[in-house]
Amino acid sequence: MLSEPEKIRVLFQKTGPLKFISHLDLDRTMKAAFLRARLPIKYTEGFNPHPKLVFSLPLSVGTASLCEFMDFRITEDIPKEEIRDRLNAAFPPDLRAIDVYTPETKFCEIGFASYDIVLHAPEADENTVSAIRAAFDAPMNVEKTGKGGTRTLDIAPLCRLLSCEKTEDGIALSLRLSSSETEFVNPRLPLDFLAAHIDALPDDGDYTVCRTAVYRADGVTEFR
Amino acid sequence: MQIPEKYLKQVEKPARYVGGEWGQTIKDKTKVDIRFAFCFPDTYEIGMSNLGIRILYDVLNDRADTWCERVYAPWTDMEKIMREQNIPLFALESGDPVKDFDFIGFTLQYELCYTNMLNMLHLAGVPIRTSDRTGTMPIVVCGGPCMYNAEPMADFIDLCIIGEGEEVMDELMTLYAAHKKAGFDRSAFLHDCAKIEGIYVPSLYDVAYHEDGTIASFTPRYDDIPVKIRKRIVKDMDKARFPDKLIMPYIDTVHDRIMLEVYRGCIRGCRFCQAGMIYRPIREKSPDVLCRQGKILADCTGYDEISLISLSISDYSHVDELTDKLLAWTNDRNISLSLPSLRADSFTKELMDKVSSIRTGGLTFAPEAGTQRLRDVINKNIEESDLMNACSVAFAGGKNQVKLYFMQGLPTETDEDLDGIHELCSRVIDCYYRTPGRPKRPPQVTISAACFIPKPFTPFQWEAQCDMDELARKQAYLEGRITDRKIKYHYHDAGVSRVEAVFARGNRKLCRAVEEAVSRGMTFDSWEEHFDYEKWMAVFRDLGIDPAFYANRVYGEDEILPWDNIDIGVTKEFLLRERHRAYEGKTTKNCRETCNGCGADKLGGERTCCPSLKK
Ligand code: SF4
Repeated sequence: MLSEPEKIRVLFQKTGPLKFISHLDLDRTMKAAFLRARLPIKYTEGFNPHPKLVFSLPLSVGTASLCEFMDFRITEDIPKEEIRDRLNAAFPPDLRAIDVYTPETKFCEIGFASYDIVLHAPEADENTVSAIRAAFDAPMNVEKTGKGGTRTLDIAPLCRLLSCEKTEDGIALSLRLSSSETEFVNPRLPLDFLAAHIDALPDDGDYTVCRTAVYRADGVTEFR
Repeated sequence: MQIPEKYLKQVEKPARYVGGEWGQTIKDKTKVDIRFAFCFPDTYEIGMSNLGIRILYDVLNDRADTWCERVYAPWTDMEKIMREQNIPLFALESGDPVKDFDFIGFTLQYELCYTNMLNMLHLAGVPIRTSDRTGTMPIVVCGGPCMYNAEPMADFIDLCIIGEGEEVMDELMTLYAAHKKAGFDRSAFLHDCAKIEGIYVPSLYDVAYHEDGTIASFTPRYDDIPVKIRKRIVKDMDKARFPDKLIMPYIDTVHDRIMLEVYRGCIRGCRFCQAGMIYRPIREKSPDVLCRQGKILADCTGYDEISLISLSISDYSHVDELTDKLLAWTNDRNISLSLPSLRADSFTKELMDKVSSIRTGGLTFAPEAGTQRLRDVINKNIEESDLMNACSVAFAGGKNQVKLYFMQGLPTETDEDLDGIHELCSRVIDCYYRTPGRPKRPPQVTISAACFIPKPFTPFQWEAQCDMDELARKQAYLEGRITDRKIKYHYHDAGVSRVEAVFARGNRKLCRAVEEAVSRGMTFDSWEEHFDYEKWMAVFRDLGIDPAFYANRVYGEDEILPWDNIDIGVTKEFLLRERHRAYEGKTTKNCRETCNGCGADKLGGERTCCPSLKK
């Protein structure tokens, strides 16, 4: 028994069918997995106690991720590798704990996230690639709905195109988007903008998105 | 995953269609001989909560030669995409099209899912009629309570499982494997199936009718298959297969918790209740077995709630021992215990103190009728004083709301009985104000009133349902009586109940109606927003079917009933005797007090209360 519950962070992946579950459902899935793993973790206080889990960035339904973080507190001293293995044994196949460690940062220190995106666009050619590159060099005005209603926002300063190339039947691009607490850009925003302005790109949601990395505010140091 | 991602993004709750949950069974399809698609003709959320499927999934997958997968009815948004894009119905685990499977199984739990079953076969690209399925096309096998009168679906089902499926299913797979090895011949296989106890093959029986539409005869086509098909039961519930691994749905489902089945059957004999008759005789599990199974499930699922499943939990002969043994470890693990199906006469302060979910959960009781006279007619052995005692215990314990279930349109019901519902509720409110230590808030009594539906294999199976006008009048009458805002009145749609009544007591002539309804795009009839009474009446009218013949007619006591071909153990003589006692206003004691000779004991059973089975 630890005198003070120890804070633990899990870096995990969420892929395959799990892309299609909401944050709330992920939370339920995790809680059940913790109970199966029989890890002695800190519960919420109150009338209906349940494992207390804190997640990092929001992830839209339909988006996979290789880089999600979750914090909890453990009440007994258990080796980190064992925690990882016990979680993996209790996780569904498309949920994988990659690393378990003692965190030295806070989620509010996250500044950016990068995404790999594959667009299905059989009509796309090299001109499409140039058009995409050009789009990121000009203002990208999008409607953003938030707590205070809908506002128009130029997201170009918050987005960076890391790479863009033509594939056999579409386009593969990689983006780094602002993901701080105050300026969180959902990858759908630039994608919808591109689809609306470039004819060869799909506007029926025919693309896949995967979050690949999360960075600190400097945009280069990986968040851990 | 078989649906392209872009379509998944276009539908509500895409997680319904992707599988991949913890606990699902994945096998190498090249190493199994039998592929079984277990279909539930409603949404994922409803189907995932079904205990029967959980058990049979486990039974089938326990066989090395069989891979059982799950299939649910796609919601209308997904169905539209599947039809537009020519995506056939597929199984969740492998993503493979259902039409390539050996078996397509359905569980039919309520009549209003019949259209969905046919629609799913259609989406699968499998002919819906038995007579159109040939060679190695999938065998369509159905189970569930609707199979006690499968006649309205007889033209579509190759095999009906009558009764509890866990043992029959295994025998059926073994038979199929043998036939497949020997060179499969469809009709020879179906013929052999009909010899297994508990399997009914509708196509091997001919039905003849009298001119008035009633049944003249029911004849098997072969001498070596039974004239009457006897239901199967699992005799020893302690030894019944029990799934030690459950699929954990990602999305919220209807019963998202551990369901621990405490016993099957019921000692009561409510005269309208089908479940009380078809599951006889009562067979209990031992408390130690239940406790062990509960622990295994808690370990393997991570659920934080255990629900004790039975028709009436307080009738379990070891209810105290069981709850004590469970609470001894569930409390420490933050697992809560819930006891649905609690009778008013067993709701005590001790139980409330012991079980937290009773303290916090909603309070519901089912007096079913408003006067003692009518409660005696239906054999609901509950006294008003039981209800008042239960309410005052609950009120003193901090509750201010109670929900009461009633049935309207019961045989012999008069307006006085409807007044009785209102008066009973008023007395519950008086009881609230009289209870010392009650909360300060005003009380709330909610009436939830269903319409009586005569069901096969009940003492009321011969009765007529009130016609629509009368049902509507009764509902309006009661609504008019209730002026106190502390009483809320909810009632079931009379049109829904009438269509249910038609199919509940239907015969094979109704098969065409189901087929026609599906061809007119009618599905998800159990969903209020999809059910359309006028459309059903149009279907009946256009096919020359008189719904009143089925719903609103008193069936003759010497008439051959469409379900007389099934033997549930309980005899027709017993049901008739009970019917007559109802009209005399006489109650019948429960099976623990005395045996009334219903006939179910001939099926055998362990830990029952039938005197003939006691050792
Ligand atoms: S045989 Fe007797 S005790 Fe057994 S179920 Fe029937 S009535 Fe009840």
